[in-house]
Amino acid sequence: MQDVARKPPRKAPFLSPQFVRAMLAGHSALGIAFAALIYIVCLTGTLTVFMHELKRWEQPDAPVVEGSLSADVATKAVEEAYRKALALNAAHDIFVMGPTSTQQRLLANFHDHGTGIEGHWIGDGTGNLVVEQHAPWAEFITDLHIRLHLPHTWGLFLVGLTGVALLSSLVSGLLSHPRLFKDAFALRWGGSRRLQEADLHNRLGVWGLPFHVVVSTTGALLGLSTLIVGVLALAAYEGDSERAFASILGPMPTKDETAAPLPDVAAMIRDVQAKHGDAEFVSVFIQHIGKAGQVVNLGMKTPGHLAMSNAYYFDGNGKSLGDGGLETGSIGQQILGALQPLHFGWFGGLPVKIAYGLLGLALTIVTQTGITIWLARRRDAGRAAPHWEKVWAAVTWGQPLAFVVAALAIFAGGGSYAVPAYLATTVVSLLAAPVTPDAAVMSRVLRLLAGLLGLSAVIVHGFVWSGRISDPAALWVSGVMAVIALALLASALRPNRARLEALSRGG
Amino acid sequence: MNVEILDPVTLLAGAGGLAMTAGVAMLRKRWLQRGAGGSGLLIAGWLAVVGAFVAFAYAWGAEVGTAYALGALSLVAYAVIASTFERREAKRRALREASAYDPEERPTNWRRGIGKALLAIVLAGVASIGIGVAIAVEAPLPPQDRAVIGGLLVPILWGGGMAWTLCDPRLVRATIILLSVSAIGYGIAFLPKALS
Repeated sequence: MQDVARKPPRKAPFLSPQFVRAMLAGHSALGIAFAALIYIVCLTGTLTVFMHELKRWEQPDAPVVEGSLSADVATKAVEEAYRKALALNAAHDIFVMGPTSTQQRLLANFHDHGTGIEGHWIGDGTGNLVVEQHAPWAEFITDLHIRLHLPHTWGLFLVGLTGVALLSSLVSGLLSHPRLFKDAFALRWGGSRRLQEADLHNRLGVWGLPFHVVVSTTGALLGLSTLIVGVLALAAYEGDSERAFASILGPMPTKDETAAPLPDVAAMIRDVQAKHGDAEFVSVFIQHIGKAGQVVNLGMKTPGHLAMSNAYYFDGNGKSLGDGGLETGSIGQQILGALQPLHFGWFGGLPVKIAYGLLGLALTIVTQTGITIWLARRRDAGRAAPHWEKVWAAVTWGQPLAFVVAALAIFAGGGSYAVPAYLATTVVSLLAAPVTPDAAVMSRVLRLLAGLLGLSAVIVHGFVWSGRISDPAALWVSGVMAVIALALLASALRPNRARLEALSRGG
Repeated sequence: MNVEILDPVTLLAGAGGLAMTAGVAMLRKRWLQRGAGGSGLLIAGWLAVVGAFVAFAYAWGAEVGTAYALGALSLVAYAVIASTFERREAKRRALREASAYDPEERPTNWRRGIGKALLAIVLAGVASIGIGVAIAVEAPLPPQDRAVIGGLLVPILWGGGMAWTLCDPRLVRATIILLSVSAIGYGIAFLPKALS
């Protein structure tokens, strides 16, 4: 947090001015070093909360399935997925997910580690897999959030490190804010831009702190898990990361590749429901399907828990191998179960997603205003950095522009164009920064383009899917995108108040 | 009247939402009074916020209800602040600008900057992973619990270490402490196995 107001203290302050100034120096250094990465991760994270809705927007004619799947429908979906996987010689691991409060589709995926062949299908309410899943824009946004489109391990690590930097910024920001309570509700608009942004930065940062801490900690842990488990494996499992992961994630399949019948998933679901009457099917993950060493991880959810589901393990013969305790087990098991839902807001349906969207946007604004304050402070101190002001405007508004350019590139040429279009737009925005007159112009041009192209994406989507939209979620997503695009346009076309004031003063 | 609206979850959720809003509004009213008393409002405000947490916990269970309540507290506070923001005139700029802490000005150079970055990013990371893995290997808990808790501590310790090393002007002190912590962590994690 930055730029806290100072008055002569009546008693010794809780945090000494020297400590606060040292903390502010560290807070600024960290923010400057990681600002762009944190901003991109926060902005894409906010969008990733709505990943399932974005996928429905991209395929608005695919079936929507309400309510949890019955044992028979889930089993049929597994059998269908197995049949499709066999046809491609990719019957190795199969994952079927039913509708929940978080997403309303029947999804079936298969993947063969050896060949890399995989399939992603969407099913109807009877368990038939009717259409291949195709959502390149949602996947582009999600991959950008999870691994920045870098090679998997390196991308995860860099995003994890970004989460650590964000968490560290929250700690140093809190400790450099001695007027935490005195300014608790102050949002003074007008006057100095620097202090106005500081109020916004501090209020959004402090009141959203539980959310900010939760998403940065869980995100950092998810990103760094491969590294941490790698060191854990060296210390306790003779360097075997698979064994280390198995100690955390539960039973893994054995290497016995002898052919075996498909597991009776319906019987397993009924077995769990016999013990937990209110348990509903969420997912089933079968590793080494159709082999003697296969293991079934059945996800069943009972109400009142954050975990997306508890994991119940069975061997291929239906013998129970225990459960993961993700809902009612030990503290570590429950934390494990809550990590992903808490990080993405996938635990309470659309209202929680909307809340996460707003809080994620707040965290993005906190990141953006942090650098704006630093730049304004330099300007106030007579050490203006106009090039960095323009670059930061290019980062801030170039990203939404790059996202919509990626969407249009997908419409024009297909999913493989998303990353090149995104990178090209980002690079061009940054290269254009030095040649624009000032940061305000840069910001306006990028917002104008993002708004226009955002509206274009909505219109193109309408044309492409004209008469074929059966999923109402697609219309809602289009509506929200149009509103955001219009807001960007309005903000870009609004008269510049500061400039008008300067002109009226004869400046 | 639709009877479904009267189900206990909806009632408790509505009561919790109202209590949260009233609590934050009372805290703001107390904040407006500043030094002029208002302890009653402060106590009542926090009691209402706690009451909202309890109502949410009754409505959805402690686990989910607490998560909802924390989110609701943030959003209600944002809403109260947004609806009561103060528009200031330009003439008040000078006073406010004069009354802000600035970050400490420190002499720096590239070598020092790289040293700080290595400390905050690399050594703080090495130390925190060492502590996390030591807990994952040796803590007196079931294997899954100690692995998850050890893992969860890594980003928290790393973030704390990063904040501390960046604010501490003495590089040597930070280096010695982080190296010591690393030695202890990796010693606990690896030595028993190496010596057995």
